[in-house]
Amino acid sequence: MKVEEVVLPGVGRKYTITVQSGDRIVIVVHNSGKRELQYFEAGEEDEPTVALDLTDEEARELGAILAGVLFHPEAVGDTQSKLGAKVIEWIKVLPGSRLAGKKVGDLPLPPGAHLLAVDRPGAPLLPHPGPEVVLEVGDTLVVAGTREAVEALKRSL
Amino acid sequence: MHPSLEAFALAAGLLALGAALVHRYGFPPLPVYLLTGLLVGERLPVEDLEPLPSLGLLLLLFSVGLEFGPDRLRELSGKAIRAGFFDALALPLGFLLGLFAGLDPKGALFLAAVIYVSSSAVIVKLIVDLRRAANPESEVVLGVLVLEDLFIALLLALLGGQGPTGFLGGVALALAYLLFARFLGPRLVRFMEGLSDELVLLLGAAFTTGTALLFHAVGASEGVGAFLSGVIAAGLGLRERLEHLFGPVRDLGVALFFLVVGAEALGLLQGLTPLAAGLVLLGLLLKLPLNHLGGARAGLGRKRRLYSALYLVPRGEFNLVLGALALQRGYPLVAQVAVLLVLVSVPLGALLIRFAPELARLLYQEAPRKRPRPGGPPASP
Repeated sequence: MKVEEVVLPGVGRKYTITVQSGDRIVIVVHNSGKRELQYFEAGEEDEPTVALDLTDEEARELGAILAGVLFHPEAVGDTQSKLGAKVIEWIKVLPGSRLAGKKVGDLPLPPGAHLLAVDRPGAPLLPHPGPEVVLEVGDTLVVAGTREAVEALKRSL
Repeated sequence: MHPSLEAFALAAGLLALGAALVHRYGFPPLPVYLLTGLLVGERLPVEDLEPLPSLGLLLLLFSVGLEFGPDRLRELSGKAIRAGFFDALALPLGFLLGLFAGLDPKGALFLAAVIYVSSSAVIVKLIVDLRRAANPESEVVLGVLVLEDLFIALLLALLGGQGPTGFLGGVALALAYLLFARFLGPRLVRFMEGLSDELVLLLGAAFTTGTALLFHAVGASEGVGAFLSGVIAAGLGLRERLEHLFGPVRDLGVALFFLVVGAEALGLLQGLTPLAAGLVLLGLLLKLPLNHLGGARAGLGRKRRLYSALYLVPRGEFNLVLGALALQRGYPLVAQVAVLLVLVSVPLGALLIRFAPELARLLYQEAPRKRPRPGGPPASP
């Protein structure tokens, strides 16, 4: 993958991304926050195959989806972000899980693992959940700690 | 009630009407402001609108300095500089044209500048409004505009001074500003980070207009002062914040300014000679082949070269500054050419840019593309 960045004075910045297949994506980030996307097939210099306008909010949402922040494909396993020897892990409360209905204070957190936040669909992110918070199906737990502790927690669930 | 309120309501209503009419057809509104002014003419109480139009021009030059200042030079690609070199050939050619038209060297230099400088403000607006920012030619055109604005600011400093004292005063003032920004700037920026947006807006407005006044007082061009304010603000890293704060105020001022230019143009164009009309035509034609060649040197394809030459047709803010200055210095012919060029080139340029793809297809007899296009129609077919 090759990324080129050019300044467009008065407009914003232009990023040209050439991917492995030779196809190109041109992204213009306007000073106003608007994003313009154009897709060029490999070998095509002049005319984009498709063009798309995004608002700032839409672009951030799209970016988050591409980065796997919102949804983690099961096929790839759970997402892990590496912070040196520590990891951050997202654990989803699936229907029928032992976690559903449990209080945060009763979670079997091994030493070295910490619950950072609970993400409940349709509600604001709940950082540092107190022990009395009751988990529901569909919640995503954001857990951080040493790799062993987080792995141990996942096995125990 | 103050009579200016009535004038403002009338002007704003006319502008809104004009913009609404063309909005439906995906056409940029700037040329319509000019034409509306031209239509309304003397019935618009121009004097009552002041100081909004004058402020609009100063803020426009300020944001041109903010966006197209010399600090952009470092970020320019080699292709833009190559294209800019060919574009700059319009200066000597325009100078020769001026001499042939019977102007003295200073008048010829004015004419050269008037022919050379395209309007960054108008072109950027057209590119954004027509969704052409992602196209390869836009990068080259915007780079060329950075070079043009720099050259013209220098030329204005040179021509704008009233005699040698004015020139030296302007240069000394500019140096003082640059030194101030160099040594006190960082501390000032740290201080400004804690200020509210409103205060920054007011400080910026006071700084820009104050600088313009100061430049005027020492006999230099106030336009250069406003441009320099923008350059300094950009150098201090305030670009995004000020652009964001000034955007709406500037847009309103600029719309009124173009309306007033249109309304006042009739008076200036009375007694238009064939010579002035001929110079306008030659001025418009002179840059097309140069920019086409420049586009080729910048590595653009056949069609994109044509686009880049058409994009650089509109003349605007600097032409009006140069025109006002030329009139002061006793070159009414140059002033006529400058204003007429703006009147003709903004609507014409907007049309050419809007229909550039159709024009290219017509010129190059290109067969329509056969490959199906998934999704919606692209921004620039």
